[in-house]
Order: sequence, then C-alpha cells, then structure tokens
Amino acid sequence: MIQKSHLNRAQLIALLLPGFIVFGMFTVYPIVRLFWMSLCDMRFSSMLTQPFAGLMNYREVFADGTFWTVFVNSVVYTLVTVPGQMAIGLFVAVLLNGIKRFSVTFRVINYLPVVTSWVIASLVFRYIFNTEGLLNYFLWKVLGITSGNIRWLDTRWSGLTVAMILGIWKGIGWNMVIFLAALQQVPKDLYEAADIDGCGAWKKFVYVTLPGIKGTILFALIELTIGGFNVFTSIKMITGGKPAHQTDTLLTWMYYKAFSTGQFGYAAALSFVMALSLGLLAIVQFRMMRNRDA
Amino acid sequence: MSTLRKLFAVVLACTLLLSACAALAEGETVTINFWHHYSAQSAENETLMNVLIPAFEAENPGIKVNAVSHEWAELHDKVLVSANSNALPDVARCDIAWLPEFQQMGILVALDEEMPDFTKVSGQLLDSAMSTAQIGGHYYGLALNTNSKIVFYNTAMLEAANVAVPTTMDEWVEAVKALSGENENGQQVWGWNEPALAGWNICPFIWSFGGALTNEDQTVATGYVNGPATVKAVETFAQLVQDGAITGFNSGDIPMTDGFGTGRYAMMLEGPWKSAELAGAYPDVAYGTAPIPAGEGGSVSVLGGEDIAMFNTANQEAAWKFMQFMTSEFAETEMAKCGQIPVNVAALESDTVKNADYAPFIEAIQTARARPTVAAWSEMDNGLQVALTAVVNGEKTAQEALDELAAEWDALLK
Repeated sequence: MIQKSHLNRAQLIALLLPGFIVFGMFTVYPIVRLFWMSLCDMRFSSMLTQPFAGLMNYREVFADGTFWTVFVNSVVYTLVTVPGQMAIGLFVAVLLNGIKRFSVTFRVINYLPVVTSWVIASLVFRYIFNTEGLLNYFLWKVLGITSGNIRWLDTRWSGLTVAMILGIWKGIGWNMVIFLAALQQVPKDLYEAADIDGCGAWKKFVYVTLPGIKGTILFALIELTIGGFNVFTSIKMITGGKPAHQTDTLLTWMYYKAFSTGQFGYAAALSFVMALSLGLLAIVQFRMMRNRDA
Repeated sequence: MSTLRKLFAVVLACTLLLSACAALAEGETVTINFWHHYSAQSAENETLMNVLIPAFEAENPGIKVNAVSHEWAELHDKVLVSANSNALPDVARCDIAWLPEFQQMGILVALDEEMPDFTKVSGQLLDSAMSTAQIGGHYYGLALNTNSKIVFYNTAMLEAANVAVPTTMDEWVEAVKALSGENENGQQVWGWNEPALAGWNICPFIWSFGGALTNEDQTVATGYVNGPATVKAVETFAQLVQDGAITGFNSGDIPMTDGFGTGRYAMMLEGPWKSAELAGAYPDVAYGTAPIPAGEGGSVSVLGGEDIAMFNTANQEAAWKFMQFMTSEFAETEMAKCGQIPVNVAALESDTVKNADYAPFIEAIQTARARPTVAAWSEMDNGLQVALTAVVNGEKTAQEALDELAAEWDALLK
C-alpha cells in the first residue's frame, strides 16, 4: 500500500512537471524578467548592459504627454465597447432565448463576426470608412444626406469611433453565447412566481433575469475590460495611430516604443502600469458586484 | 506500466541519436547566417539563392551560407530581440536607417578597424552610399545597394492642364496648384501625393529649399531644423495641403499607387520600385519622370538603400569574405538585373545598369543626401511627423512647431 502511494506521488510529480515547467518558463519567468526590465535603462545605447535605473522608466511614462493621450484613448475605447457589446449581446441573447424556430440560424449569424479574422474585418472596415469608401458613397451619392466626403479615419475621435464600432460588432456574438448559456440556468419557477406577482416583461428582466446572471455579467465585464485595454490589431490596421499617435492605444504605443524606438525599458514600465490599472479595475468591479448583493 | 517505461526509453534513445547525428553532420565547414529582407518570392531572392550563394560557396569551399528572408520591419525587430538572446546572425542586409541604432547597441563590427583591407574594398563603392555606414568616424558596414526618389508625373494630366514639368520649386508650387481641383467626373484630384509626413517624405523639400535638419556633425538642431529655409519649405508644403493640393498621408486617403494610376494624383516623388508596381497594377497610365525641382539648395533628393553589416558575434573571416563578395562587381551586376541599383562603381558602368529602367535615378543619387546617421533618428523622425501633422492641420505655425522640435532634437542629439 505504502509503496503504491509513493509511486502515485512520483507519477503525480512527473505528470505535473511539464505543466509547471511550461508555466514557469513562459509565464512566470517572462513576468519577472519584464518587471526587472522596467527597472533598467534599456534603449539602443544600453541594450546589452542594461544598467539598473530604479523608477526612471516609470517617471518617463508618466511625464510623457503621448502616454496620457493613448491612456485616455484606451479608457474611452473600453468604456464604450464593453457596455456596448454586453448590452447588445444580452439583448440578442434574450431575444434568442424566447424563440424556438431559426434559433440556430440567428446564433450562427450573430457569432460569425467572432470567428472572422481581426485583420480581415479591420481591412473591410477601412474600406467602408475610407474618405472615398462605401459609407461616404452611400451618404453622398445614394442618399444625398451629405454634400461631400467626410474624413472618418483622419481625426482622433472619428478614427477611434470606427475602431470602437468594429470592436462592438465583433464582440456581440461572444456575449450572446455566454449570456444565452447563463439565461438557461435561471430557474423557470422564478419567472412563474413573478408572473403570479403580476410582473411585466421589463420587471421580470430587472428583478429575475439580471440577478440570475450576475455572475456571468461580472465574468464578461472583467474579461472584456482586459480585452478592451488589449485592443491592437484593429487600431494598427485602421488608423495606424495616425494622425501623430492621436489614435494610438496603450498596446500600439507600447509596440511602437519597444520596436520602433528601441525603448524596451519604457515599454516594460508601460506594460506594468497597464497591468496595475487592470488589476485595480478588476478589484473595483468585484467590489461593485459584491455591494449589490448586500 | 513496464510497456510505458519501455516506450519512454525508446523515445529518449531516439532523441539522443538524432541530436548526435545533427552534431556529426556539422563537420568541418563554417556556416554563416545571413539575414536579409529580399522578399521570399522576389527575383532578388531567386538570384541570391540560385546564382550568388552557389557562386560564393564554389569560390570558398568550406563556407556555407544560410540565408534567411524576413519581412522588412520584422528583420529590424528580430535583430533587437536576438541581440539580447545572443542569437544574432553573422551578416545582415540592413536598411541604412537601422545602422546607427545597431551601432549604438554595440553589436556591429567597426570594419575599418578590424579589416586590414577595408580601404581597398570600400574604395570600389560609391562615396555617397558609403556615407550611410559612417557613424562617429568609423565604418560599420559596406554599402550594398542604393536608391533615391524622383518625380513621377501623369503625362495626360499635365497636358490637359497645360502645365510644364516643374524644374524649380516656384514652378512646382504653381504646377501643384494648377493640377488640383476636380476632374471631368466631378472627383477631387490633387496635384501632389505624399504618403507620409516623415523625414523620408519631407527632407527632399527641406534640402532643396536650402534648409537643413542639423549641423554637419549632427550634434545640434537649433538654427537648422527651425532655420528660415526649413521653415519656408514646411510652410510652403503645409499651405498646399491646406489649399487641397497635396494629400496622401491621412488614414482615409486613396493609396498612392492607386491614386496615381487612376489619375487622382498628378505627381509624386517615388523610388525605382514604383515603375514595376505601376507596370503591374496600371500598365495603361502614361507617366514621365524628372528630378526633384531645384530650389535655393539645388535639386536634392533623399538617399535610401541598404548596407551589409557584420555583427560582433560573427565568424569574422568568413563573414568578411561574404560581404566582399556581395559588394563585388559580379554580385552587384547580377542584383542590378533585378532592379537593385548597385553601389559598386564598376557595376554602375556596366551596360546592364546604363540600359535599366532605373537609369534616371542614378543622376539623383549623385546629389541625394542621407538622413542623419544618428541612433536617435527614429525618435527624431517621430517628432518631425508630430510637428508636421500639427502644422498641416493648422494647429501650430511652422515656426512654432519647428522651434519646439529643435529643442526636442537638441536633447536627443546630446
């Protein structure tokens, strides 16, 4: 017996070890190394020596005007796209939950944008919103609402808006699927009880459905907030940060700083600022949800 | 249980055997790794793999060349990352703009110090092209190929507007204005296209107007990048943008080749690769080429191209042989057949080059200038784009924006 349990332990360790090694090498070590990089002076001139520089990189990040521009861009992008795709996703899920025919068809239609490649979707959006693109053609030549081409992609907020529309459009399907799963978990008898109490559809949604899927809402909120701060491909493809970094977000700016100007220390510090902001946000989101409980 | 163990043992044995085989196979020959950014499908890559490397390996038994193709931007990033992990190649073909950065990282070999026959080798190459490899008094590469930009103009559009090909900057301003407006389909047309506001785009104007970016030693910017001639160049350019006569640098604009090919952009300043692009995408568009119009500073275009450089982890003897080979008359003439403008003086004299499509560029190269060969250039270039964006959008005057830029550059050049 005793020998067998020893064997089991050895087997356990042997089976866990590859996982631990991979996790350690590709997750723990890079994070530790990145933190160290953020404390070192690491640019072209010091790339190989990497002298310790304390908080210099963090000071540089906070003193940099462009950092605040891209930070605000990321915050706005998240504030708009996260509630946007959650609300529409939930709406679609509630609708789909109530129908029996064509349910699969509508699910597929709503989920298609999720599986579309970001690069291709971004290019298509670019074609639509180009100064001589599809949208301007419709507005001007077909509908006659505008009297000329509008430069959608060329200014800070209109360029970001295009990326935000893409973000929402692409996120609806994911939200729909997880909310649909959550809706099916809400006990039917609660709705029956609410019916007896004389609740209308809206009241049932607010007092039965929403509390019933609260856990899923929190999960989606945190996942999507992280996703919102991680926006990269669409910005890179649609505006490329133009004009003059005014449409850059945290990640595209980080990429630019690291790989175009060689300031790896700055980029590492920026990534920790971003991770800390996200961590704080997640704590706040958890707290908010817990307070609603009480 | 025991079968599982046996399986483990067999897998382990196989792995060991395989690595042993790999070690044996290496043998006596030296393999040098050569990273480049000739696109994998290009004629240049064909020539490299099927003509040049076999010829080099036949000439130098015992040296094998392992050439790896990268995307242009990816190669730059890859070198930065590899420098940290000690995985650099022996030799790389580098955009001339990268050399100062790599030099400042301390990963390049100063060829004039290490190679006794450096002067002999570099003497066979164009001086203006070699200047791109000179950083702080030493040479960190050999010029490999060069290019510059000249004016491409749509013949039909110039004729229709009754505009002559501009030869001076004053004529250029008038021509760009006259060629802008609406075409017969009611579409907006622009006299000039400029696809970005970076140094590569704006330097030809600054220099031709008689302006400068820094002093000769590349240590001070104040008085140069905000000097009167530079300010005038930027003002003139920005005014034409605001008049709706220049566009192309906005995210929503028609791409350069498409706009030129469909008669929406009348003129542009572009490199030798544009001829092939136009022949492929818009074979029917009739166009001519001319040098950049001359201003107070003459007709000065911007120098592009590539250098070939050796990293300090290289097998120096083999790498130097390969670099000499790649810049030799034979290799340069072969590459010239695929559209690479040679820097080898003897290759420049060959009939291949004299009859090539890019012959008009060779004149521009004689007077063209290199952008500052300083490591901070990518940051300076970014500052320049930010400043110019503010000027063309009317947020700042040229003088204000360039004064601020000069202070920023002074700090970066220290």
